[in-house]
Amino acid sequence: MKGTNLGELEELIMLTVGSLFDKAYGVAVMDELLEKTGRDLNISAVHAVLRRLEEKELLSSRMGGSTNERGGRRKRLFTLTKAGKQILDQTIAVRTSLYNSIPDLTFNFSI
Amino acid sequence: MKHPSPPYWADRFLRWYCNPKFLEEIEGDIYELFDRRVEQKGQRTAKMKFIWDVIRFFRWSNIKKSNSKYVKMNRTLLFKNYIKLGLRNIKKNFVTSSINIFGLAIAIGFAITTFIFVDMQLNMDRFHSKGDRIYQITNFMEQEGEDHRWGDSPLLLGPKIASDHPSVESFARIEFASASVKAGADVFDELITFVDPTFMEMFDFPMIYGNQQILYDKNKMVLSKEMAIKYFSDEDPIGQELSIKFLNGTIKRLTVGAVLDEFPYNAGLRDDLYVPIDNFFDLQFQENYDWSYLTDATFVLMKEGESIESVSGSFPEYMQLQHASNPEWNIQRFDPLPLYQLSLNGWQIVGSVSGGGHPAGRIALMLISAFLLGMACFNFMNISVVSATKRLKEIALRKVMGGVKKQIVNQFLVENTLQCMFALVFGTILAYFLLIPGFDFLVPQMELEMRSSEPQSMIIFFVTLLLGVGLISGAYPAFYISRFEPIAIFRGSQKFGAKNLFSKIMLGLQFFLAVITIVGSFVIADQSMYLSEKDWGYDPAGAFSVYVADEAQYEQMRNELIANPMVETYAASNYLIGRGVPLRSLEYDNRQIPVRLIGVSEDYFETFQLRLKDGRFLTDQALDQQSGVVVNEMFVKEMGWEDDPINKTFVYDSLRRTIVGVVRDFHYYDFFSDIDPVIIHGLDKTKVRYISMRTDPKNVFELEQSAKTAWATVAPNDPFDRVFQEDAFDDFYRENSTNITIMMIITAIAIILACLGLYGLLSFNIQGKLKEFSVRKVLGATPKTLARVAGKQYSIIILISFILGAPLGVMLMQQLIDSVFSDNQKALSATPFIISITLILVTMTITVAGQVKKAIKINPAEVLRNE
Repeated sequence: MKGTNLGELEELIMLTVGSLFDKAYGVAVMDELLEKTGRDLNISAVHAVLRRLEEKELLSSRMGGSTNERGGRRKRLFTLTKAGKQILDQTIAVRTSLYNSIPDLTFNFSI
Repeated sequence: MKHPSPPYWADRFLRWYCNPKFLEEIEGDIYELFDRRVEQKGQRTAKMKFIWDVIRFFRWSNIKKSNSKYVKMNRTLLFKNYIKLGLRNIKKNFVTSSINIFGLAIAIGFAITTFIFVDMQLNMDRFHSKGDRIYQITNFMEQEGEDHRWGDSPLLLGPKIASDHPSVESFARIEFASASVKAGADVFDELITFVDPTFMEMFDFPMIYGNQQILYDKNKMVLSKEMAIKYFSDEDPIGQELSIKFLNGTIKRLTVGAVLDEFPYNAGLRDDLYVPIDNFFDLQFQENYDWSYLTDATFVLMKEGESIESVSGSFPEYMQLQHASNPEWNIQRFDPLPLYQLSLNGWQIVGSVSGGGHPAGRIALMLISAFLLGMACFNFMNISVVSATKRLKEIALRKVMGGVKKQIVNQFLVENTLQCMFALVFGTILAYFLLIPGFDFLVPQMELEMRSSEPQSMIIFFVTLLLGVGLISGAYPAFYISRFEPIAIFRGSQKFGAKNLFSKIMLGLQFFLAVITIVGSFVIADQSMYLSEKDWGYDPAGAFSVYVADEAQYEQMRNELIANPMVETYAASNYLIGRGVPLRSLEYDNRQIPVRLIGVSEDYFETFQLRLKDGRFLTDQALDQQSGVVVNEMFVKEMGWEDDPINKTFVYDSLRRTIVGVVRDFHYYDFFSDIDPVIIHGLDKTKVRYISMRTDPKNVFELEQSAKTAWATVAPNDPFDRVFQEDAFDDFYRENSTNITIMMIITAIAIILACLGLYGLLSFNIQGKLKEFSVRKVLGATPKTLARVAGKQYSIIILISFILGAPLGVMLMQQLIDSVFSDNQKALSATPFIISITLILVTMTITVAGQVKKAIKINPAEVLRNE
């Protein structure tokens, strides 16, 4: 099923949202991605992915409190849902298991 | 320092397109980024990036797809309700609704008529299956500094093109000749069309009998259906023999080989008797079959997939050939004209073989119907808006019960489209039963009927008309009304109707258009009347002419008539003024001057009462007959001899001519065309074609009778072709009076529409002001005061629209007139203004008076009692 597979950007953003815990909103996610992976995304792309993940019910969101910054606009804060956490776990597990099954030979070969 | 803010318009754009659900977070994020960037990279970059972000956010998922923040409702169910309510409203406000519908219907009917008319003109000759590959080779000649497009082309051009260029499939030439055709005992004057045998294959006219190859047989001919009936009525025409006597006396006997069916309505080329062109060569070209002769038209048919461009390269070569053999007639360039363009351009081709009117008529009709439609739409808008005053509470209630703005808009759009639909139906009926037959009656040669070149174009036209008119006239009221707040309506503070600037502007516009139409119509009518009363330059009453084939017939006729006491004077000539005098070219001082030549005998001037300006008339003396000429004023002006034209000389046809007299300009053809320079010279006896007589105008019919008897003994085998000079311009007068009639009808429609609008608006307005009038009345206002109050605001509007509209109408029509009539009234008379002011004022007063009477007659007790 398509919905259960994560794209690469989707996965990165899920991870970022997870790591930012409770402070994950558009600009923060964008900054974090730039810092950790060096990918300079446009804010609109981040919004699009976040909204898509929310539609897939892998993320949930709520509006934060309003402040004097941002022209008084509230932030939409994202958190991982249970399903989101699960699918991340799955993805990581699949990767690790695949990774682990790479024979040592390969490494030796490269030396 | 002021805190920098993002570009206002970009932010506005974002707010406009963005789905409100997402607006806050998106705005928040890009504001945050903006602030950060201002600190890091400066204001300029930050602003640029902000704009970029806004653009990047402009994607499908962020765009608001619905106007409303609320959940979508099922609107289809409401449609039934809208339609029912719409019908009820039409019934309830029957008078205003029918004004609305009737006004629109008139305009729509007119638009339909125009559409059919224009559609026909734009689709002439489309039925020929090879039509897209057929071209007429026209050419340009410079005369008097003006480039004239001529239909005539060298006789040898067609064969030369076809033999030089493999891309050409075939060619066909047309040559016209007058002849008398005899079948049994009947003799008719006809125009014979000589064509190449390929003609019938190139143009596929529908045929009843025979085939397209029939003209390859030199002794066969093709008749139109009309001719077949005229000559043979019920008999089978195939195999019948017709004997044709040409002008030079040659007689040919030809058998009918094929009969064409009735011409399709959009046939531009339609001739009656087609004869193989070889017969024409027998008549005229035993020897000089060369490039100097110009035939009436040359058509070429390109092979499929070939372009006419492939031929164009050889045109300079052909021009050389033509120049070499006919140095007096130098063609400047050849220009192939596609068949489909032929009748559209017919008006500017000299000697066009195809019909096709001046585009001015088409443009004027389209303009006028656009104006009428515009007026009707304004009418509609106005009355719709005003009639909504009665329904304010309904609107408010709908809103209170949860109806959103969009629903109200829909409701009014549906109602208005419903009315438009009625109008469309009535308009079609009106066009079908009244306007189109009426038009057909006025201009019978157009054969106008309800039809179009392609059914889909008509369907598209109708749908566009319905939606266009429905939306244009329904949109404003719908959006305007739906904006009202329920609370304002219920509280009664909604200011509406009486002081509505919009409806005043609309009324103004409507009257503005009406004034343009009315003034314009009267300017044209005035021009037409001016033409119909114009001096002909000679005295047509009592002049009477008979066509004679040759000198012998002339002599005999003269001998028969000379004894008749009714004949005051008589004369011979080769052409007849009023029947057209051919155009020739005179070379003088390295200029080509277009001139018209008439050869006459001594008493011609007396017979037609031409007016002498200077010098003397021609006599029958040998010197006069050989080299003397009388010219018109235009000739003198053209040559620049105003000071002393008498005894000036010039060379024409390698003969030195001396001017012995000058006559006043006279109209030798019709009033549409300019008067060209005219040379009246001595008549070569062998070329005599008309014997003209003058008698007392009251004897002219009696004279005709005796001439007819005389003719029966002189030439029993030739048709008796006589001309009452007074009838010479009959066609012209008929066309002229048709123009006047059409203009009057249009004026009437414009006035009706304007008055309907005024009436509708006024009746609502007075309805709404009944209380005011009652109070005024109670306080002692006289009927005069009341009338002034009711009518005042409208007279100002109408005055303004008149001041603006009248000059514009005059300007538009004057331009049209300038392009159509060369001979126009240069000075504009005041009559059109006076007539249109009076007309508008009178109709307006009648319209207003009825309503004002209502206001005067009210019983204050009745109106005020309720409060």
